[in-house]
Amino acid sequence: MSDFNVDRRTFLKRAGLASAGAAVAGRLSRPGVAAAQDATVRPDPAAKRGGTLRYGILNAPAHFDVHQSGTVANIGPQSPMYDTLIRRSPKDGQTIIPDLAHKWDVSPDGKKYTFHLRKGVKFHDGAPFTADDVKATFDRITHPPKGVVIPRTPLFATVGEIVVVDPHTIEFRMTQPRPKAYMLGAFASGWNVIVRKKTLDDNGGNLRQVMNYPGTGPFRHVSRQDKEVWIQERNPDYWNKGLPLVDKLEIYHLPPFSPELGSSFLSGKIDYARLLDPVSWRKAKTMPGVTAANFNQSVIQAFWTNTVKNKALADPKVRRAIHLAMDRPTLVDVVKDTAPMQVGGFVYPFHEMSTPRAELEKKLGYQADVKPAVQEGRRLMKEAGYAGGLKNLDFVVRDIASFKLWAVAIQAMLKEHLNIESNLRVVQTSVWFDEAAAGNFDLAISAIVSSLMDPSDIFSAWYGKDGPQNYSRWTNPAFHDLAAQIERELDDSKRKAMVRKAEDILENDPPLIPVAYEQIYDAWYNKVHGQNPSTFFGIYDVVRWDNVWLG
Amino acid sequence: MRKYLARRAVYAAVTLLGVSLSIFVILRVLPGDPLVAILGVEGHARMTPADRVRIMADLGLSDPLPVQYGRWLGDIAAGRLGKSFFRGDTVADLIAHRGPISAEIGVLAVVISWLVGLPVGILSAFKPNGVPDSVARTISVLFIAVPGFWLGMLIVLALLFWFGYRAPILIVHAWQDPWQNLQIVIGPSIVLGLAQGAYIARMSRSCLLEVIGDDFVRTARAKGLREGLVVMRHALPNALLPVITISGVLLGFVLGGSVAVEQAFGVPGLGRALVTAVIERDIIVVQNLVLLYAVIFVAVNVLVDLSYAWLDPRIRYS
Repeated sequence: MSDFNVDRRTFLKRAGLASAGAAVAGRLSRPGVAAAQDATVRPDPAAKRGGTLRYGILNAPAHFDVHQSGTVANIGPQSPMYDTLIRRSPKDGQTIIPDLAHKWDVSPDGKKYTFHLRKGVKFHDGAPFTADDVKATFDRITHPPKGVVIPRTPLFATVGEIVVVDPHTIEFRMTQPRPKAYMLGAFASGWNVIVRKKTLDDNGGNLRQVMNYPGTGPFRHVSRQDKEVWIQERNPDYWNKGLPLVDKLEIYHLPPFSPELGSSFLSGKIDYARLLDPVSWRKAKTMPGVTAANFNQSVIQAFWTNTVKNKALADPKVRRAIHLAMDRPTLVDVVKDTAPMQVGGFVYPFHEMSTPRAELEKKLGYQADVKPAVQEGRRLMKEAGYAGGLKNLDFVVRDIASFKLWAVAIQAMLKEHLNIESNLRVVQTSVWFDEAAAGNFDLAISAIVSSLMDPSDIFSAWYGKDGPQNYSRWTNPAFHDLAAQIERELDDSKRKAMVRKAEDILENDPPLIPVAYEQIYDAWYNKVHGQNPSTFFGIYDVVRWDNVWLG
Repeated sequence: MRKYLARRAVYAAVTLLGVSLSIFVILRVLPGDPLVAILGVEGHARMTPADRVRIMADLGLSDPLPVQYGRWLGDIAAGRLGKSFFRGDTVADLIAHRGPISAEIGVLAVVISWLVGLPVGILSAFKPNGVPDSVARTISVLFIAVPGFWLGMLIVLALLFWFGYRAPILIVHAWQDPWQNLQIVIGPSIVLGLAQGAYIARMSRSCLLEVIGDDFVRTARAKGLREGLVVMRHALPNALLPVITISGVLLGFVLGGSVAVEQAFGVPGLGRALVTAVIERDIIVVQNLVLLYAVIFVAVNVLVDLSYAWLDPRIRYS
């Protein structure tokens, strides 16, 4: 048994180091910008081949269609069987590197992306990989057939035509240019796995119930026991010679933040755990021979105010007041034993274009001392004509531990700071999304994800006029115009200035109230080499295990 | 006897029909959209009305409810339990794979409840209101009061943090590796068994105390038999009938309790599959598993009723 005792001095030292590290890493990363065309993944020279990697992750997909999915339950177990056109480097989780395309060109006007594909690549069923498969894959993603819903479709909204130039060259012709980082990030998204044209044709374009459709990835399907384990073996014909390094993957179904995942890792029944709960992660951190890492997730924890149903909540001053009434450091602390969180504003706080953390912490609503923000909030409520507060707001809470904890804390903060009284209504996840989509709430708390870290993705999905996750039904013409400009702007520095301007609009007329940004806790035994996700963004882009080896 | 059996069979069929109708209606009336689980949060948010119509039709959920209900009953009659409409796994396979684990837990829990409950009840009845009786009653109330899932979590955590131990992650059947299998089922069985054992201890104590005052027991004592023999040979068999009756009812508690306890221990049994299916709104799996639990409960209670005649020759079915 490892020692659990940490004295105050050691704790402060570690906390200081961790915070400094997180801050530096957060600002150093240049998400989506770096691309290295000569950096195909190669095996570590010191790597040993062989062995079985036992990996714990949510492994109970509702279906098997990776394109249609938005959950780690698919990406976790299925990603090792597929490749993408280009990918994020497993070294840093950020740099875009070749995958099935060994090279790419972007026309100077940003309206044509040409990908040069590898030759001699084979699908697991032995069929050769060609540009027709890429076209079929992206035709489906950009224009899904009826009954097929692909969350990443909007990322390719400006792709007008996909042209097969020859069996190993493909062109994406755009109706409008988009920032290169945005488009390359979209192509490199882990969700956009390349599948065979024939597979899609044979299944009417719907792979929801097709468990083992062939990919070109480093691992092949061997067997799967629902909600228990998915076993995959090394693909001996993998195009990237020398990879993968482990012979077998055993991917265990262990739900995020669950005691099962924590206990399986701490008892040594798995080698690598993803999405550990904070208590198990802290314990793992103290264990000899174990490395524990935390990294940023592509999720915002937020709460929405219904601007259509409730007249008071339609007033930007009231929403700004609610935004200011949040004691965010306390909210992060409230759930510290349930889920790891960090304070942030309306854009990912670790994105290079967002307001830097130090600057953000000086703003009202993000300070450790909430008194000035609360005073300003009260003033705004008075100005809006609601000095006496609001009564009987219907507060719909998603039935997940962190939201239930937060809802109680937020209810108390709103009452104490602004005299806003609400009634909590805890509902199952599926009911929450029904209610949110139907607008049956005054206040609602949940979490939403984005495919990319790029602000344009969240400006359209979370805050867009008809954005699918704009549950407040918020509109602000000035913001929507600016968001459209940001989406088209190819110059990074101009974009950054515009993003800051957009943040200001959002601060004063909040479409949602940011509660916190999630972090991911991973841990692994030190015999696992080749993967350290500390600088990764999210858990969806780098889940291939091709360069991982066991020492 | 035949008439009695036929009547019980009819009653059982009506009960099960009622259960099937209730669960079918409840699952359709409850709010919540299964498409959230199928498409995920992002996909669900981007789904168009046309997509919804198409997907609901694919899942067989767009037909009128009576048609859906009739089709389900027809499938059951034909021995088809349908497929999870998410991954396409069949419910029959699910039951075949996970059922034995849950059945083991249920049977072991009942065995433990008798092994613990009966001796404690007898001990209590020997000297009512004495120290052993008070201790036994206090402990039995404690086990009735403590929720099984909470006790289960404590056991899991204690084993992990004190001994670095966790039961096997995957299902291992008794015929594959009895030792691994025992590690999976023993925890939930003990937790469920002790809770039911507490009920059995209290019931057997009160029944024994009632019987011990009867004439035939006094006669046995007057014949000079030892107290142990008086209780074990004469009083106990006559006090067992209500205990057996309550065991049938308790099996219902075991079935219900196993859902939470399997979850607490992380045992991949049917109870856990049911919890997941409820969360996912996997209607086909939920309705078939609930019906299976109902069938088991009804069957056990019929068997308990039939066992009366075997245990007490004075009882006749007509």
